[in-house]
Amino acid sequence: MICLDCDDLFATWRQQARWLLSHQIDPSHVGWNTVADLFATDEHYPEEIGPFQARIPVALIELLQSAAQYRGEQRWSLLYEVLWRVCHGDRTAMLAGDRLGSELHRRIKQVRRESHHLHAFLRFVEMPVATEGPPGPEYVAWHEPAHDILALASEHFIGRMGRSRWLIATPQDGVYYDGTQLIHERRCPLEWQQLAQQAHDPQGELWLTYYSHIFNPARLNPKVMQGHLPTRFWKNLPEGALIPGLISDARTGKQRDGQARDIGKRQGKRIGRSV
Amino acid sequence: MQLIDKLSILADAAKYDASCASSGAPKRSSEGKGGLGSTNGMGICHSYTPDGRCVSLLKILLTNFCLFDCQYCVNRRSSDVPRARFTPEEVVRLTVDFYRRNCISGLFLSSGIIRSADYTMEQLIRVARLLREEHQFRGYIHLKTIPEADPALIEEAGRYADRLSVNIELPTDASLQTLAPEKDVKSIKKAMSTIYTGQQTVLNEPRAPRFTPAGQSTQMIVGADQTDDSTILHSAESLYGNYGLKRVYYSAFSPIPNSPKSVPLAAPPLMREHRLYQADFLLRSYGYKADELLSGPGDLALDIDPKLAWALENRSVFPLDLNRAEPALIARIPGIGLRTTKRLVELRRQRRIRYEDLTRLRCVLAKAKPFFITSDYHPQQAEISTLLLRDQLRDRPQPQQLGLWG
Repeated sequence: MICLDCDDLFATWRQQARWLLSHQIDPSHVGWNTVADLFATDEHYPEEIGPFQARIPVALIELLQSAAQYRGEQRWSLLYEVLWRVCHGDRTAMLAGDRLGSELHRRIKQVRRESHHLHAFLRFVEMPVATEGPPGPEYVAWHEPAHDILALASEHFIGRMGRSRWLIATPQDGVYYDGTQLIHERRCPLEWQQLAQQAHDPQGELWLTYYSHIFNPARLNPKVMQGHLPTRFWKNLPEGALIPGLISDARTGKQRDGQARDIGKRQGKRIGRSV
Repeated sequence: MQLIDKLSILADAAKYDASCASSGAPKRSSEGKGGLGSTNGMGICHSYTPDGRCVSLLKILLTNFCLFDCQYCVNRRSSDVPRARFTPEEVVRLTVDFYRRNCISGLFLSSGIIRSADYTMEQLIRVARLLREEHQFRGYIHLKTIPEADPALIEEAGRYADRLSVNIELPTDASLQTLAPEKDVKSIKKAMSTIYTGQQTVLNEPRAPRFTPAGQSTQMIVGADQTDDSTILHSAESLYGNYGLKRVYYSAFSPIPNSPKSVPLAAPPLMREHRLYQADFLLRSYGYKADELLSGPGDLALDIDPKLAWALENRSVFPLDLNRAEPALIARIPGIGLRTTKRLVELRRQRRIRYEDLTRLRCVLAKAKPFFITSDYHPQQAEISTLLLRDQLRDRPQPQQLGLWG
């Protein structure tokens, strides 16, 4: 058994996989990031590339790179197994109908979904303008993605935010856009994390007001909501804290019509023919 | 009145419009530019409210003062609701603020009719122009179009907005006359055709300024009158055909406070709305005709979906051999969607399809099982009567406790 560590970097894994393939090393003889494997042997291979030359379709590299962002068991060994089978002429390993391929595509789907969650559920808070020192981020956000999607998926905000400077911190990595380039730190600096987690938001009330008034209590359907907006995101969304209250309010009477309770309490105004 | 009070009134007044889509816009980016905003064709739902609806756009009315007295509408003239009016600058401020926070992907602006149709339309356009020209806003803009407004104004709106929509409101002319006497189906359709003509004019002119690149849509209220699903679907089909609509939205009529006697008080018919959306999807993406889904008058079944209903009506087509059948027919198997169809076709180019493959493709096997054949599987259920099969496959409602007062 060959034990490898790629530091969860696709580029490193790719080098290792190329070397393994060139020596025709079967996937069952390789493991990644496994500590003190019971079956570890002392087999030795030369460090240079071996004689076998594999032809790898470009489409496969794209699939593997995408699936590599998935955090979970067998993260790297599955990729090698797919690569192995395709290189040995079995292209079904890339397809969703195959046993291995279906797991590959499930991971890609999870990764894509998690990237989309970043685009959707991330919330920026505006920072007060610093009067001295070098200019820092104008907007900061704290986000907790379930997969390693930040580096690639955060590029989306470059187009969205124009020349603004912004920062996204997560428990693992972080990105900072300084107005011209995107800087990715694999270990998010503590300073960034604090900046993002302690940001004060005096103007936050407007969004909360909008959220609770666009909700139609007569159509209450919390199950569908949770399917689209998993509960793990609630704690980092400003509107997350409102959700249980809105649901119970709808259940206790507000479900009769669509209006929010405080609107019904206000003075109404019928309009005459001439406005 | 404070901005926050206006926001609460005018968001509450806007919630009955179902559409909140931000998809279909062309690629725009603010990278390295002043201003803000981007679109790439894909919509983003930034939040979900507990009614299960997506929050993609800031959906508000410019004002809920209104001259009209449409019976189903909470903002009708005779309704006793609090009223407010934003200035165009206030709408711009809210849009930019929410957009910066990444709470929305754009604006969906509608309005009650004040003074005149033209005046109201001019106000809506003013907001869009401020956003696009003064703030260089490149996010999504959807403007509700006032049907009676001057066509020149509608054309102007189409140059700023990604999407325009004119609400057809009710599926038949007769219902519109009863419930919305100030509205006129002729002007609604005329406005739709003004938009359609605008789109056709720029179609083959790559250098022409863009015109509603995300298309036009409309909304029909379901359950406020007695119209059946067949009429609704046929009406939707002709709207898609005649005006090249991107979407018809169906909005289950939500009871409104101080409801007039002309509209129902009951809870919104959500399941009916859901079935209409499913049927609509079959019209748009699967190539079904409204006649195939409902040939005579009547409603869609509530306990089975329209695709399954069609399959049960057309048993002679099934079971289909997945290793031979045309892709368009495979997509007609209940429980097998367009995506699975594509994957099956890819797979069968490599090897024969077996039953086990379908379990991995995550289709709804329980529904699909009676309708296909693979190299190692032939459905037993292919022989049983349609009535029995229908009973096996229908959705069973969760048992519900009886209300104490019946």
